[in-house]
Order: sequence, then C-alpha cells, then structure tokens
Amino acid sequence: MERSEVRRLYALALFLLGAYALPFLVGASQGTVHLNERWLGNLATVVVGGLMQGGVYAMFAVGLTLIFGVMRIINAAHGEMVMMGAYLTWVCFFYLGLDPLLSMVLTLPVAFLFGVAVQKLLLNAAVGAPELTGLLITFGLGLVMIYTAELIFTTDFRTIPYAPGTVRLTSTIAVGRNRLVSFVLAVVISMAVFLFLKLTRLGKAVRATALNAEVALVCGINVRRIYLVTTGLAAALAAAGGALVSIQFGFNPETGVVYTLQAFAIIILGGRGHYVGALIGGVMLAVLENLVSLMVPNGTAMVELAAYGLMIAVLLIRPGGLMGVKEG
Amino acid sequence: MTRGEHLRNLALLVVCALVLALLPRGLSLYYRSFLMFTMMYVVLALSWNIISGFTGYTSFGHVAFYGIGAYACAILVADHRWHWLPTLAVGAGIAALVGVALGYPVLRLKGPYFAIAMLGAAEGTRVIATVWDGLTHGGLGISLPSAETSVETYYAMLVLMVVTIAVAYAVGHSRFGVRLNAIREDETAAAALGIDTTVYKLAAFVLSAIFPAVAGGIQTYKVLYIDPPSVFFVQITIAMALMSMLGGKGTVIGPIVGALVLYTAQELTWVNFPTAHLIAYGLFIVLVARFMPRGLVGLAIDQGWIRKGMLH
Repeated sequence: MERSEVRRLYALALFLLGAYALPFLVGASQGTVHLNERWLGNLATVVVGGLMQGGVYAMFAVGLTLIFGVMRIINAAHGEMVMMGAYLTWVCFFYLGLDPLLSMVLTLPVAFLFGVAVQKLLLNAAVGAPELTGLLITFGLGLVMIYTAELIFTTDFRTIPYAPGTVRLTSTIAVGRNRLVSFVLAVVISMAVFLFLKLTRLGKAVRATALNAEVALVCGINVRRIYLVTTGLAAALAAAGGALVSIQFGFNPETGVVYTLQAFAIIILGGRGHYVGALIGGVMLAVLENLVSLMVPNGTAMVELAAYGLMIAVLLIRPGGLMGVKEG
Repeated sequence: MTRGEHLRNLALLVVCALVLALLPRGLSLYYRSFLMFTMMYVVLALSWNIISGFTGYTSFGHVAFYGIGAYACAILVADHRWHWLPTLAVGAGIAALVGVALGYPVLRLKGPYFAIAMLGAAEGTRVIATVWDGLTHGGLGISLPSAETSVETYYAMLVLMVVTIAVAYAVGHSRFGVRLNAIREDETAAAALGIDTTVYKLAAFVLSAIFPAVAGGIQTYKVLYIDPPSVFFVQITIAMALMSMLGGKGTVIGPIVGALVLYTAQELTWVNFPTAHLIAYGLFIVLVARFMPRGLVGLAIDQGWIRKGMLH
C-alpha cells in the first residue's frame, strides 16, 4: 500500500471514532447520558440490538455490492426488492399460512427469477453504459414496483407477528426473539453465499468477472450468464432481507427507499464490491444508528442524517472504504 | 456554426419569448400554471445538463439547489417580510456558495461515486431542513402570506427560462463548453492538454446550481407553501435527468425538447389515469433509459432528420 493510502486509512479510522463519539457528546450535553447501571444496561442492549440488525442489513447490502462489483451498476431498486420480499412473506403468512422463515423456500426462488428477468430484459443494456443509464433504469423499475405494490396492497403499514417475547442474553441485556432469529438466519445465509463465492466453480466465475470481465470472457467464462446469476442472487438476498425485516418492523410500499439508501451507505463504508466489507459496514452502520437514536433528540431524522453523513465523509476521505482498493 | 445560424437561433428564442409573454392574458389559471411548470422544467433540465450533460458528472442530487432557493424565498418573505424578488438573488447566492463548498470535495469523485454522493447530499439537506426548527419551521413547513401571484411569477419564470437558455446556449458554443466536453470525454487527457479541470468542473457545477435555486424561489412564491418533502423531492432530480436524456443530453436543444415532451405527457397521463400514472411514469423512465439513451436528438440525427450541429 502506498504511504498516502495508509494515511487515508488512518484518517478514516479517526473519523469513524469521532462519528461514534459524537452521539455520546451530544447525549452528554443534552442530559440523555446517565452513568448509572440502568443506563449502561440500555446502552449494552442498544449495541447488541444494533449488531443483530446490522447482520440483516449486511445481508441485503451484499446483494447491492455483488451487482456493483460485477457490472458497475448501482441498483437503485434494491430497497424495493427488499420490500418485495417482505410482501411475498406477508402473502405467504396470511393467505397460505406459511411460517415466515419456511416461506423463504418459496419466495427466494421467485425473487431469483425476478432478478434474472430484470437482468435479461433491462440491465444487460446498462452494462458498460454511462452510469446514468443503469441508475435511471433501476430507479424507474423501483417506481413501478412501489406503485404496483400500492395498487395491490394499499399504503397501509403491514406487520407480521412472529416469535414474540424477548430472550435474556445476560442479566441486563435482552433482545427480541424475532430479532435474534433474524440475526442467526442472516448469518447463516451470508455464510452460505460467502462459501458459494469462495468454493464453487460458479462462485469463482462470478468473482473472476468482477475482477475483470474481459479476461473472464477470454478464459471461457460465459459472462452474460454470470450477469444473470449475479442479479438473481442479489434479488434473492434482498428478498431474504425483506423476509427478515418483515418480522421485525412494519413496512409499506414506500419503506424500500430507506433500505436502498442504507445499503448504499453500507457498501460505501465497507468498500464497494467487497463482500466482507459489506458485512462490517452493515454492522457499523446499524450500531451507529442505534446509538444516535438512543442519545440524540429528534431521533429518526438524525438517524438518517448519520447514514448520509457517514456515506459522504467516507467517499471523501477514502473512496475505497474500509476494505476496498484505491479507486474512483 | 456560422454567425447567421446563431442569429437565427436568437431570433427563434425572442419570438418564442414574445409569444409566451403575450399568452397569459388569454389563458385560464390551469393553462397558465401548466405553461409555468413546463418552463420551470426547461430551466431545471438545462441546468442539470450543464454539469451532467456537458461535463459528464451525473448529479443525482440536484434538487438540493432547488430546495435551497425555495427555502431562501419562503423564510425571507414569511419571517422577514422581504419583497419576493430580492429573495431570488439571495437563494441563488446561497446555492452558489453551497455549490462551491460541496462541489470542491465531491467533484473529485468520478462516475457512480459522484452520483451517490450527490444523492446523499440532497437527502442530507432535506433532513437538515427538517430538523433545523428555528430557521425552517421543521416538518410543519412554511406558509407565505396569501396573495394572487400567478401572473408575476409566470413572467419571472419566463425571464428565468430565457436567461437559462441563453446561458446554456452560450456555454454550449464557447471554448468553455468545449473544455467541459473534453473533461467528459477524457479527464486525464483534458488535464494533460492544460485544462485546469478542477476550476472548470467547479464553474460548471456552480452555474448549474444557480438557476434551479431561482426556479425554486419563484415556484415557492407561486404555491405559497413549502415543506421539506415537497421541495427536496428526489423525483425532481430524476425529472431533470430523464428530460435531458429523453431530449438528448449534452446538447442545448435536447433538455428543452425533453422537458416539453415529458411534462406534457406526465400531465396528460395524470389527468387521464389518476391511479396508474405513477406506474406508467416508472415504466416510461425504464423504457427511455433502456431504448433511447441518446434521446430524441440522437434519434433525429441517426435518422437524418436533422444535421448534426444544426440546432444544438
């Protein structure tokens, strides 16, 4: 690594430290920080909750990073794919009576096929084109998805009651059972995808295409097919994220936008196109968000600001993010 | 392009402006605001085109400047009892300052990274407008004193549109514009030829920030109420990009044609299909980006309907 790169990495680390310290400082000045046992227990609960939420975020952010890494396309409809997964789960739960986790067996292949269709019909034209083409195609697709969902499901918020109650991890830290289940499943799925990319022939071909599509083509890899697999896998991961989100939070057709922006922030923080980076980025973002909402007044708006601030600052300090290589 | 062609284009602009200036007396309120909206989108698309079409830096957050102009007008008129015209200058000034402060770091990013950073910046501006209660009244929004403003704002928008077209045309046919194009085609090569790319990019960015701010101010004085979600609406950015692309980005006539066609189409579908118009709009975005990335002007050139360089 060059010297200047090392300096930038230090600068980024310092910035992140500051970003995590900021909610504490604001909290101290606003009187929302209390150094007693109960508050420290709350703090620990929030951090652990953030870790678990981060696992889910990371999982669907991996889908975004895959598409970006392989095709240099920003999927602006990623959050809508998450939302689609949530609605598919909801339909399976209320109309077919399927367990939300079990229904993934049904919904993930559907999402995979959806991704393949999107790639074949729309995104193939955007590979290698100026970034605006891909951005507009996926944004338009997102709009179609949002308003189709509104037509079918209305704008009412939906929830799926699943695994109520809490689990005590220690005497002071308790997490919702649904959150714990989601986290475990997110870790399992992320591991499976990781192993797929690392060990299987197809997974290796995906990584090779991400490194250099031309060389991959010369080596006999069917790059078009890899594109199909990539977008299919990304859509399936987003839908899995949707299923896990749906048993924790309420959702309506317009909630997807928030997930898109979160996924952007995550892959930029971790390093675009970088698998492990996305996992780290997901956890870091979720923990920061939870810290902000615990200590800073005007919670929800400030949580959003934290995500955007983090994203821009990382782009400016070290565009490669935590794990990425120098680029851009 | 010859001097005669420039003069012909200038004459065309003057005639259009005169026709538009005479129209509002004979028109109902509905058609007057329809025309005004169309003119506003011409301004927005042309401004976006300066940084993203001429220079090749795709801004996915240009609505930030529109919102800044809107808030400058609303705050100064409602809370400080200013006349509305000088607030437009203040909005333009703030947008220019923000443009420099934001552009200097962000324009170092390329391609998709610049687009995402701008998207984040615009969303961030919206959140700031929501939480900065003392200045912006937060999520409640700002109501301006009620008045009949549709005629004066119509003329203000007309003037703004003519100025924007003139400036975009001048940029498009100047050495400045050629240098911006050089940056778009190959920034390293442009720098090697001695073009100070940082300065040129920043100039293009600031120029493209000013007009949307003024348009935001005028529009605010027309509708007399704003709140953060309405003036920092992502789809305003999308409209700028889509109109430019539909007409032909990187040209002068393209964004104008795109704004006219798209806004008219939007209005017609909205009136005729109130429930499905947003789906149709999304589909339209997809189809334009998928099948017509070079836009109507590109199509016309390919088909031999117009000569390259004739109108743009």
